[in-house]
Amino acid sequence: MNPTLEALFNEPEKRYLQPDELNVLSQYVSSVPERIQVYRQLRDSEVQTLQPVADQLQQRFSQVPEAILKRSIQHGLLVLRYAAMAMLIDDPSFLTKRLQPWLPEMVAAFDTLVVDEALHQLLAQRLSSTLTAQQFALLSPALVVAQQLLERAPSTNLAREAPLVGIL
Amino acid sequence: MISVADLLTDERLPSNYFASDVYVRGTLELGLLENRRGDRLLAIPEVMLKSIYAGLTSETGQAAALVLRNCGRWWGKNFYARFCEELSDYQKKAVADLPLAEFMLSLQECWRSHGWGLLHLNMDYYNHGFLVVEIQHSPFTIHAIQANKPSGALETGILQSFFSQLTGRDLNCMQTSCESLGADRNRFVLGLENRLQPAAAWVEAGQPHDAIMTQLISQ
Repeated sequence: MNPTLEALFNEPEKRYLQPDELNVLSQYVSSVPERIQVYRQLRDSEVQTLQPVADQLQQRFSQVPEAILKRSIQHGLLVLRYAAMAMLIDDPSFLTKRLQPWLPEMVAAFDTLVVDEALHQLLAQRLSSTLTAQQFALLSPALVVAQQLLERAPSTNLAREAPLVGIL
Repeated sequence: MISVADLLTDERLPSNYFASDVYVRGTLELGLLENRRGDRLLAIPEVMLKSIYAGLTSETGQAAALVLRNCGRWWGKNFYARFCEELSDYQKKAVADLPLAEFMLSLQECWRSHGWGLLHLNMDYYNHGFLVVEIQHSPFTIHAIQANKPSGALETGILQSFFSQLTGRDLNCMQTSCESLGADRNRFVLGLENRLQPAAAWVEAGQPHDAIMTQLISQ
């Protein structure tokens, strides 16, 4: 949950919540029906959202091995599921909590950064056309965090296809 | 063309199983801290580690490091089995079928979520037959076992055991830098016994990690 909201529940032993604090809670609660609506839409159109993005990606990166493209598309699906959840609970930092440093390191290890960044851009474009401006605005902070996670991909010396057995 | 629907046939998309906010939980009304599979976890106070080190040193003198290393090997053997079981259950595939990068990232995340510090596998010397595991913010090396000696005996044992099982080779492990001696991180070198053995004298003489590695690979 959004850390500001979560903090409201931390110290009931100290005092009752003040009007401005209850306002924060009310604002979130009144936004929940819209958030659930967007969430449902994202859930029900997962394949329809990503398939055109995957097709465009494959055209643009025809020289890239299919295994890399598939991994990238899986990253895209994963990010969108986490972004949808982050939108639902109004906490873009949800992505960082769960996927930092895992996602940037996976991106680096499998060398998918260029494809991932292109996919992210195409996905954002696609969502901005399938969602209303107001709906997209709810999802957008989480997508920004996802973009920042990709930018944090470190350089790595892990051989990506190195098998586990026989590494020495 | 790639079918997105085909990428969604598995039970779940590959993700970060060991993310701390889902991995560490508990049945706290029963006083149990648990991982997401329900295996019990313990929060060990730092001072308890310190007292184990002090107790061992007082009872066994210089053998304390050896005892801790053996404990680490025992721990590593069990940890490896449990880690692989958890990971393969989650990923729905045998650990041997996972790419090294994915396996190591999971180990890093597992290490981090248990509060054992930041682990990183350095493969710079991989072609020479050595792996270097770097660990920052380790809770196990804060307290010295013997003055002026690396204090990661427990981790040396766990890593030796873990990587021996992983690689299917009988590896030795040696700590070549230690946070307790002012280094920026703990470094543990893994390699075959006969190739790594000469490093013992260099560690004993207090040589820096880089110098030890240079000598090891020029053997």
